[in-house]
Amino acid sequence: MLSDREVISTLEMLRHEHLDVRTVTLGISLFDCASGDIGRFTAMLREKICRIASGLVEVCDQVGVRYGIPIVNKRIAVSPIAVAACAMSTGQMVEAAVALDSAAREVGVDFIGGFTALVEKGFTSGDRALIEAIPDALASTERVCSSVNVASTRAGINMDAVYLMGKTIKRAAELTSERDGVACAKLCVFANIPEDIPFMAGAYLGVGEPDQVINVGVSGPGVVKMAIDRARAANPGIDLGELSEIIKHTSFKVTKVGELIGREVARLLGVTFGVVDLSLAPTPNVGDSVGEIFQSLGLSHIGVPGSTAALAMLNDAVKKGGAFASSYVGGLSGAFIPVSEDLNIAESARKGFLSIEKLEAMTSVCSVGLDMVALAGDTSAETLAAIIADEMAIGVINRKTTAARLIPVPGKKAGEKAFFGGLLGEATIISARGENGSSDFIRLGGRIPAPVQSMTN
Amino acid sequence: MKKAIVSVIGHDRPGIIAAVADVLFVSGCNIEDVSQTILQTEFAGVFIASIPDSLETGELVRRLGEKLEPMGLAALVREMDPAGIWGAPASEPFVITTLGPDRLGLVAGITELLASFGVNIASLKAVFRGGVNPRSNIMIYEVDIPSALDQNLFREALYERGRELGLEISLQHRDIFEAIHRI
Repeated sequence: MLSDREVISTLEMLRHEHLDVRTVTLGISLFDCASGDIGRFTAMLREKICRIASGLVEVCDQVGVRYGIPIVNKRIAVSPIAVAACAMSTGQMVEAAVALDSAAREVGVDFIGGFTALVEKGFTSGDRALIEAIPDALASTERVCSSVNVASTRAGINMDAVYLMGKTIKRAAELTSERDGVACAKLCVFANIPEDIPFMAGAYLGVGEPDQVINVGVSGPGVVKMAIDRARAANPGIDLGELSEIIKHTSFKVTKVGELIGREVARLLGVTFGVVDLSLAPTPNVGDSVGEIFQSLGLSHIGVPGSTAALAMLNDAVKKGGAFASSYVGGLSGAFIPVSEDLNIAESARKGFLSIEKLEAMTSVCSVGLDMVALAGDTSAETLAAIIADEMAIGVINRKTTAARLIPVPGKKAGEKAFFGGLLGEATIISARGENGSSDFIRLGGRIPAPVQSMTN
Repeated sequence: MKKAIVSVIGHDRPGIIAAVADVLFVSGCNIEDVSQTILQTEFAGVFIASIPDSLETGELVRRLGEKLEPMGLAALVREMDPAGIWGAPASEPFVITTLGPDRLGLVAGITELLASFGVNIASLKAVFRGGVNPRSNIMIYEVDIPSALDQNLFREALYERGRELGLEISLQHRDIFEAIHRI
C-alpha cells in the first residue's frame, strides 16, 4: 500500500512544481542511408526517419497519460550529417537539412538535431560543406538544429574552426535578421560534445551509438526550488550541507521518473534505452526556473557574488542524486543557465547582475556554457570567435562539455530586448566588452594543443 | 480445519486486539491474517483464523461476545465459504486521487463508476475535513484495472464523473509513485 504522503507529495510535484520529462529523444542512425547521390540520400533518410519515428509522438503521449507525467518534448537526433553525407556539396547539405525538416514535420516532432560536424582536430570536405551550409540550412528550415564540435580535451582547440563558427553565426543571424537572428538559437558550438545528448540544440546521434536509441532528458528546477523552500521554512537553521542533501534526494526522484518513462517508451517502440540526461533545464515559465533556485539559496539574483559557489553545489548535488537513481546517465547532465529561456536569468541579465564574464565563470562548474546569450548585432565575427574560444578553453582544460549558443541580434544594441518566441524566450542584449580587441589573436588560427593531463592545478 | 472471518468494531482503546486474540487462542484458533485501522475515534479490525472442526461458529460468537461486549465492542463472525470467491482478472495497478470540496455523494459517485467498469478497489483512503487544504479533502483509491478494459474509455468516464462531482481527478499507474519514493 502507498502512504498518503507518497501520493500527495507526488501530486504536488506534478500540480505545482512542473515535474515532467523534458524530452524523449529518439536517436536514428543515418549511416546506412549514405550515398553519393543527394536525391537517393534524402529519400532514404526521409523513409527511415518516418518509418522509425512514426509512432514516437503517440507512444510518448500514451505513456505520459498512463503515468500522469507529461513528456513535454519529443525529438529526433540523427547521425552527424557531415559524416553521413560527407561527399555532398554545400548546396546539397542545405537540401539534406530541408529533407530532415520535412521528415520532422511529418512525424510531428518540434526539433531534429544532427546537422552536425565534428572538427576538433581538422576538417573533411563534408565538414567544410556542412559548416558553410549552416546559415542557409537554419534560415530555410524551422526544426533543424545544428552543432559543431570544435574542441576536445584530447585534441585541443581547432582555432580555424572557432573563427569559422564566428563567421557562421554572424551570417546565420543576418539571414534571419527579421526574427532577431533566431537561426543562431538553433546552433551550438561545443567542446567535448557527448554522443547521447537528448536536449536541443546539441542533440545528435554519436558515431558509436546504436542504430536506434531512446535518450531521455529530465528537468525539474521547479521541484528543486520548492524542496529547498520547504526545507528552509521547516528548519530556519538549515545549512548548505543539509540543503545539498535535499537537492540530492529531489534529483533522485526526478531521475527515477525519467528512467521509468524512458524505458517504457523504448519498450513500446522496440528500441534500445540509452541514457537519462540529468539536467536542470528551465523554460520561460514562472516556477520552472534555474535562476529562482539561486534566490531560494539566499542570493538576491543569479550573477551576484556567491553564484558560482551556489551553482557548483547545485550541479554536484543533482549529479549525485541522479547517479544513484539510474545506472545509465549521460548527455550533458548538469544545470543549464540559458539566459533567454529562463525568465529569472533573463531578468538578472536585464538588471545588470549577470555579465558575460560571470556567465563564463559559472559555466566552469555546470553543464553547457554560454547558452542563449543575446549580443549586439554589430559584434564582429572575431569577437564572437574569441568568446567561443574562451568557452571552449574552459571545457578543454576542465575535461568537461562546454558550449556556446550566441545570438548577435541584427540591428540591436546592448540593453535592447531580443524576442525569439516560444521555448526560446526573450532576453536583454548584454554587452561584450573589448570589441575588436581580439581580432589579431583570432586570425592567428591553427590548433591550440591538447592540455597536459597531469599537473592538475 | 475450516476458516472463519471475524470483524470487530467499537471505540478505539488499548487492549482490543489482545482481547480478540485471547479468545481465539483459548478456542484453539490460529490467526492467519489481521488488519486493523482507526478512523477518527473508532477501531475496526478484521481477522482470518483457522478454527478447529469441533468448534461451532455460534460457540465462537458466544465466546467473543462474552469478552468484547463489556468493552463496548461488536463482533461479527462468518465461516469462510470456498465457493463463490471472485476470480480477479488480469489487471494493472493504478492510483486514482481526487481533490475537491466535500459534498454528499462523492464516494458513491466515484465507486459507482468503478463498479460499472469492473474496476476493483484494493485500497481506499478518504478524508473530508472541509477548508481549502488539499490534504484535508482527498480520496486515494488504489485500484486494479482489468487489462481487457479500454483504459481511454475508462479514463474519460472517470474524468467526466469528476467534473460532475466538482473534483479534480488524476489516474496514474502505480509504478510512478514507487519510482519516486522508494529505492
